[in-house]
Amino acid sequence: MNTAGRLSRAGHAVAGAAARSGQNILTAFAQIWANRGRSFLTTLGVIIAVTAIITVVSFVEGFGRYMTNMLRGYGTQYMIVWPDISWEQEITGIGRIIMDERDVEAVRTECPDIQRITPFLFTETQVAYRKSSAKQVPTRGVTEAYQVIRNYYVDKGRFFGPMDVEKAADVVVVGRSVLKLLQCDESILGDFVQIADRRFRVIGILEPKGSFMGDDQDETVMIPYTTMLQMFPQMRTTMRFLAEARSEEVIDQAEAQIRRVLRQRHGLTIGQPDDFGISRQDQMLREFGKVRTIAASVLAGIVSISLLVGGIGIMNVMFVSVSERTREIGLRKSVGGRRRDIMLQFLTEAVVLSTTGGAIGVAIGYVLTHMAGMHPQMVDINVPLWSVALALGFSAGAGVIFGVIPAFKAAILHPIDALRHE
Amino acid sequence: MRRTRKRQASRREQRRTATFLQRRTFWHDGQSAMQDTREKLIEFRDLQKIYRVGTELVHALRGVSLTIHQNEYVAIMGPSGSGKSTLMNILGCLDIPTSGSYLLNGTEVSHLSQSALARIRGRQIGFVFQNFELLPRTTALKNVQLPLMYAMLPRRRQRALAALERVGLADRAKHRPNQLSGGQKQRVAIARALAQEPDIILADEPTGNLDSATGNEIMSIFDELYASGQTIIIVTHEPDIAQRCHRIVTLRDGMIASDILSERGRAEAAPEGRPEFAPAVGAGA
Repeated sequence: MNTAGRLSRAGHAVAGAAARSGQNILTAFAQIWANRGRSFLTTLGVIIAVTAIITVVSFVEGFGRYMTNMLRGYGTQYMIVWPDISWEQEITGIGRIIMDERDVEAVRTECPDIQRITPFLFTETQVAYRKSSAKQVPTRGVTEAYQVIRNYYVDKGRFFGPMDVEKAADVVVVGRSVLKLLQCDESILGDFVQIADRRFRVIGILEPKGSFMGDDQDETVMIPYTTMLQMFPQMRTTMRFLAEARSEEVIDQAEAQIRRVLRQRHGLTIGQPDDFGISRQDQMLREFGKVRTIAASVLAGIVSISLLVGGIGIMNVMFVSVSERTREIGLRKSVGGRRRDIMLQFLTEAVVLSTTGGAIGVAIGYVLTHMAGMHPQMVDINVPLWSVALALGFSAGAGVIFGVIPAFKAAILHPIDALRHE
Repeated sequence: MRRTRKRQASRREQRRTATFLQRRTFWHDGQSAMQDTREKLIEFRDLQKIYRVGTELVHALRGVSLTIHQNEYVAIMGPSGSGKSTLMNILGCLDIPTSGSYLLNGTEVSHLSQSALARIRGRQIGFVFQNFELLPRTTALKNVQLPLMYAMLPRRRQRALAALERVGLADRAKHRPNQLSGGQKQRVAIARALAQEPDIILADEPTGNLDSATGNEIMSIFDELYASGQTIIIVTHEPDIAQRCHRIVTLRDGMIASDILSERGRAEAAPEGRPEFAPAVGAGA
């Protein structure tokens, strides 16, 4: 036998196998269509399971992406350093300096991988404007570096500059929600407000940032930290600060540098714990990513139980199909169908059935997420492609797993018994 | 392989032509079987089939020896319980004997595996059933293509159409079984049996579900196929049908009770113009 002959034989074999699997799929669809009521009810389990997978994954992904973007928006290169004092220390060491401006200055000058730094003072103050009554507003005392570190920019007026910080000017930058709180509009720019009975000139309005986990980011006012220290002198000894690394790659070095400088300054010996804490934004992001993955997999696990139930339904209907078509199996065997051919035919049918259910589930999932996305206060949600692939893969897998036993039952039927079956 | 197949096909062709000529001078009797120069297609030697029903053993076949040659037209008869169905199942490679030997085209098939038997069924045997056994919701053409698909033969569509043409149903290729009459259904079934050009056509009560006029039509198709060189075995209990064949094998109690030429067979087997020379085959020889 020459090579060409062998090739053409191989070609025939491949073409034959292809034709057979094509025929199997066609037969499967014909069978499903012929028993469409039964098939639909059977696949309902798979449909519901896949719909649940698609929507759950889309929601988790959508909210997760929303949160991640939010956290990214705050900047991922910065860390917040705060004095970590125990309850005991707080009582006994009243007035003792834990962390102050000199620490901040030392970190600024001695840490090469820190590019920006700002003290960060925070409290709630009474803010009043004209006739409106005083309102509790979160107030931050920072320097001009804060806007770059945290991506807080003004879109009307200006942020306060180094000079304002230097001379502890009575200037304030307000968030959009504060305008609403004080019942005024952007014309407040240039006007004066009362903050804790001190007159401040409004020099800038912050661009809107929206809310994060129910926390309105625009409900804030910012003043130079020097001014804040004059108003609240006790804050001098427990000063927090924000430090931004040169890039995301050097955050680890920057953190180590801060730790070294502060331990040295605070006279801590080896073995003594830090009297300060450092929390990093990128760590938060990573932690959050972990939580998100766990949440998604737990939900997916719960949902796959319903897929199991759907699979059992498919197994059931396949058993019915095999026993209804026993004579057909006998005929197929008598005209040359081998066990594996019969097995493959019924397996194909189970897979087509479950995958069709999966496809319907995906479609319903799409519709549901789209409908949910139309709600104005809903975060942006999309169906991730991988979840579609996963859902279809899982439903096809369920078809294989739950179709194997009925298909095997069909395959091992004896042709004579099958042909005699009534 | 393809070349081999071609070679087989041409050999089969030669064989048919040869047997057609030989048939004219064929002298069929048990003693002088050696004179028969036609190729042996089926050779049973002392076949036994024992079933176990509960704790009892049922001897369905008790030593059947039978030879069927190329291009014979054989009826297998017998009352129910005679082992007729068992014989047919073994003949069609649907089942294997408990003991004894079955040579099909010179190959021992009594100990083959399930998938090897399936291959033989697909390539060498064409079944025709009493209940037609067409796939519902499937066109006549697709039904005829079914064995070709399992045999992985090329040009399935053309072959299937040619087979439908031979039974005179080319114009009904696109019809589904529920759009066909009983006779047409059986003709589609015959086309399906013919499609892969089998060595034997094995029909189990092919006219059992048809009225006598339609049954006659079906038998005419078998006659034509026989005339073109096809080997045909028909299992039946109707003497009329059996008489249209050339050789009648009757089973009783799992053994061959008689193996004779029918009147028609005698007429054809006799030397030209001398029907009185055609003897009957000895019973149970």
